[in-house]
Amino acid sequence: MNGETPVSETPAVKTPPLLLLAALLFWGWQSGLLWAGAAMGLILESSRLIKTRWDFTEKEFRRIFTFCIVLSLAAAVYAFTSNEEGSFSQMFSGPAAFHNATLTGVRASSAFFRWLPMTLFLVAATQLFGARERIPWTAISVFARRMAAREKMIAGVNVTYPYFIICVFSAGIHANAGDDSFFWGQCILVGWALWPVRSRRFWLPVWLAAVALVVVLGFFSQRGVGDLVRILENYNGQWIARFLRQRADPMQSITAIGHIGELKLSGQIVIRLHTENGAPPPLYLREASYRIYHPAKRSWYAGSARTDFIGISPQTNQTSWVLLERTNADSLNIACYLNGRNVQSGNAMDLLPLPSGSGRLDNLYAFTLQKNPEGAVLAEGPGLVIFDARYGPGQTMDSPPAFSGADTNLDLFVPAEEMPALDKVISGLNISAADEEQKLRAVARFFGNNFTYSVWQPKAKSSNTNLTPLADFLLNSRSGHCEYFASATVLLLRELKIPARYAVGFYVHEKSGRGYVVRERDAHAWCLVWNGKTKTWDDFDTTPASWVAEEGKRASVTQWLSDLRSWMAFQIAKFRWGQTNLRKYILWGLIPVLILLLLQIVFSRGRQRRRQNRISKKSAPIFWPGLDSEFYRLEKKLVACGFPRQSGEPMSAWLKRAGDETALAPLREPLLQLLKLHYRHRFDPRGLDETERETLRREVEKYLSVF
Amino acid sequence: MIAIYKLFYWVYRAISSVWYWARRRFTVAGLCVVVGFIVAGSSGVDVENTVIYQTFSLLFAALVFALIASRFFNGKFSATRLLPRIGTAGEPLQYRVAIKNLTPRLQNGLTLLENFADPRPAFDDWLAFQLAESRRVRPFHVSARRRNNPFRLVNPVEAAIPPLPPKGEIEARMEILPLRRGVLRFTGMTVARPDPLGICRALRHFSAPQSVLILPKRYPLPPIALPGAMKYQQGGVALAANIGRSDEFVSMRDYRRGDPVRHIHWRSWAKAGKPIVKEFEDEFFARHALVLDTFTDEQHSEILEEAVSVAASFACTVLTQESLLDLLFVGAESYCFTAGRGLAHGDQMLEILASVRACGDKPFSILENLVIGHVSAVSGCICVLQNWNDARREFVRKIRALGVPVWVFVITPAGKNHFDLGPMRGEPDNFHVLEIGRIKEQLAHLR
Repeated sequence: MNGETPVSETPAVKTPPLLLLAALLFWGWQSGLLWAGAAMGLILESSRLIKTRWDFTEKEFRRIFTFCIVLSLAAAVYAFTSNEEGSFSQMFSGPAAFHNATLTGVRASSAFFRWLPMTLFLVAATQLFGARERIPWTAISVFARRMAAREKMIAGVNVTYPYFIICVFSAGIHANAGDDSFFWGQCILVGWALWPVRSRRFWLPVWLAAVALVVVLGFFSQRGVGDLVRILENYNGQWIARFLRQRADPMQSITAIGHIGELKLSGQIVIRLHTENGAPPPLYLREASYRIYHPAKRSWYAGSARTDFIGISPQTNQTSWVLLERTNADSLNIACYLNGRNVQSGNAMDLLPLPSGSGRLDNLYAFTLQKNPEGAVLAEGPGLVIFDARYGPGQTMDSPPAFSGADTNLDLFVPAEEMPALDKVISGLNISAADEEQKLRAVARFFGNNFTYSVWQPKAKSSNTNLTPLADFLLNSRSGHCEYFASATVLLLRELKIPARYAVGFYVHEKSGRGYVVRERDAHAWCLVWNGKTKTWDDFDTTPASWVAEEGKRASVTQWLSDLRSWMAFQIAKFRWGQTNLRKYILWGLIPVLILLLLQIVFSRGRQRRRQNRISKKSAPIFWPGLDSEFYRLEKKLVACGFPRQSGEPMSAWLKRAGDETALAPLREPLLQLLKLHYRHRFDPRGLDETERETLRREVEKYLSVF
Repeated sequence: MIAIYKLFYWVYRAISSVWYWARRRFTVAGLCVVVGFIVAGSSGVDVENTVIYQTFSLLFAALVFALIASRFFNGKFSATRLLPRIGTAGEPLQYRVAIKNLTPRLQNGLTLLENFADPRPAFDDWLAFQLAESRRVRPFHVSARRRNNPFRLVNPVEAAIPPLPPKGEIEARMEILPLRRGVLRFTGMTVARPDPLGICRALRHFSAPQSVLILPKRYPLPPIALPGAMKYQQGGVALAANIGRSDEFVSMRDYRRGDPVRHIHWRSWAKAGKPIVKEFEDEFFARHALVLDTFTDEQHSEILEEAVSVAASFACTVLTQESLLDLLFVGAESYCFTAGRGLAHGDQMLEILASVRACGDKPFSILENLVIGHVSAVSGCICVLQNWNDARREFVRKIRALGVPVWVFVITPAGKNHFDLGPMRGEPDNFHVLEIGRIKEQLAHLR
């Protein structure tokens, strides 16, 4: 088209007939896009019937390739941010789109790979309908263009086989339904693809036997591989889980009580908060509370079973969840990560950090939400959730304590191992006869006056005694971190017959911009105490207030850098988990780019055709003068009269041959003279003058009348 | 640092070994299967969300079968290569190979592969090249790095063998494309037989050492009027066997500056439209010096390779214009080769150029002294330089000061084409910058 000479190359190995159609049908069947696969396959295979070929230039190849790459990127962006499951109908709006945006990363990226046969279809079609057998590397690779610029011979690439491989791979990107349809389908396709490259040295039965053997081997090994990967996956999951920070478990809280050395938590920002109209935030964000303390394991247990979690149904807008029917005076916007994972579904799952008295959660794009009697709210959804918690003082979700007796009331349960130390402390406080409020004040005063906060836990001096770590804390060391204070307070209150629970969550104190941030080191444990008058659970924290300053001292000088990284990670997570509108903007931004590329491909060819047409129209009178000669009429007449002119026979030879016939013998010479005039009119650059032109016209008319 | 480079070197050797093995052991379809196997293996780990692991298993089974099948091949062969003495870089070199089947059974579906000497450099050479590259290219400027392997003389080559009758012999045609000048050493040949699936090949090696000299790549030059007039050559009668100026008429040729007017053949001028002179035997004849600048630290410098190619182009062209040509360069020592007029042929000069190596341990002044000592005998001087720095400018200035016309060709990286002409300011037409990648085009426009 533009005079470029293709690099000489060996003929490309063509895919066997109908292989691409079969591969695309297989892909369509496996991906749920059968009609798209069939249509694309038919188009590609029609290249064997349609003989018309487009002579694409290297530039056009490059444009088409770029278009397909941009299309693939658009699909990648879309899949990354929304994880569309194959249907385009709910692509941009509606709760379903938001729901799609929250599916897992594995499934999201799988959509991108599943669409590859569609997004790269144009590349394959360009080769099959193009005049060249290969797509030049220079159209695909910048490096190849650079090498070509250095006068190096760059061959092309036959993309049909790579496209076939992509189709087979993409067909395998779907959930394992447990059937073997994919295996048998791919066996047929791989065998079909290997058929033309088989060694002619061997007989056909040998080839068939080899294929059969490979299929049998493959069938049994895929069974084994599947089982092996499942085993490894489980093992791997457990192994990795040990290294990940454990967010609160609603069933159990393993404390660091009794651990020797320094308790270290990072300054990484884990929660971001915004309050309405600059109102102060709640001091505590609770994740869970626990009722049973196990001194040997130094752990707290919820006291209820996993089955006690109750599912909460969303409101009609699918994003509002009512935890408790109550009036909510305040609102808090919370952004937090869900770090856990639901083993069954593979989705992210974690406890939500909520202010005490939360009644309603708005704009929460979660799949499921559950709560338990201890006030924990378990959400399954995307890796990051940003929602509004409506809360207020008073009633909470927590179940009230049962007052049937200390043996059955878990909120008054004290382990026997801890009782001696607790009794010793209580006897020192001398508050047996005091009312509830006085007891609380005395306990607070006891911890405030006699205890210090420390993240460093030395080796217990009384290790040779039978004191538990908590007893050692109460009687000897009187220094520890929040878990010591909370655990000791809960048990002490219980020993004083005041129902109490152990709560874990975060302490909010650090302002950042117009909102607040909560760091990992702000993780905190405190006590929930039952208020018999208001019938509510109140926060009761005996950890010295200095703990915040103590933790703050451990902030690194490069904390701003880590905050910047946290902020960037947060922004990426927002984009990643569909919590921004950026996804829509990117998609809408990519559409004009794609249209522009498409127009460039389509209309640049059109322009070239039009330009060529214009040139050919203009050049007609220049290159073909004398076509108006009347001699052509005479020629037709003579042919009609039985003097046929052979194909390729010069007119002079034809006239001489015709003149040998008796009928035309007298006219032989005059006709040859007339032919000379015609030739001059036709081929002489100077042409004929007016008189000669008139003579030609007149003489032809004369002889026409004769025949 | 050297330890890190050593590690990289061994990684490079390991990767190139694996790639060499894979390309010989597997067919193209086999390589696709291997790539598919690796991709399936890496993407099929999630057995719940994809079923790619089934593809992995199938391809694994195919590869295992093919590798086992390639163990069984009892063919025995011998072969003789009918190889030309020389080839040219960048030009296909065709030759025939006579293969003999030493077994009593028909052998068909076979492929013949050439085995070349291991082109991978020793650690010191490799390190020198890497350091030169790191000096030439800024860190992370990946696209500016060389994409071609400077150590490889030829790409792997293979050809299908026609069916070999029992105990019979047959000829196969081979074609190789030498990538650069130098001695191309063949070590042996390999006969490959694919497995029934056409994935993996069984290989039978046999020794057949041979070598061929690959001449430098050459560019076509237009007919050029070299600078300088004819000069009296001391003892030149012996040299001037055919061409020169004496009483005996030999032939006609184009007018050169300095030719006596009385030797102009007026009728030929009228016919040809340009001055033509009669040529007589004499000791006066044109003699040109072709000066090749080999001074660079980089043994595999692209600029040096192009400089050699440009010099080779002149060596061919100037000889056909019937004059003497002295090739001057510095290698292990200073060299001066004279060709033309029965002394030596063009191909001999090309053979010398094929073996030119970079000179990194001597100062440029050695070349300067060599040329200046020689320049009195030459009519003109063609300098093919790798740089246009002060030393080279001073060199050219000195030659011009001796009254010898000079043509300067400076080879530069692509995009660098502006220089201060220095001593060539008075004759800008004789100063040419040749950019890598455009040399062919720029030489074609020479006048």
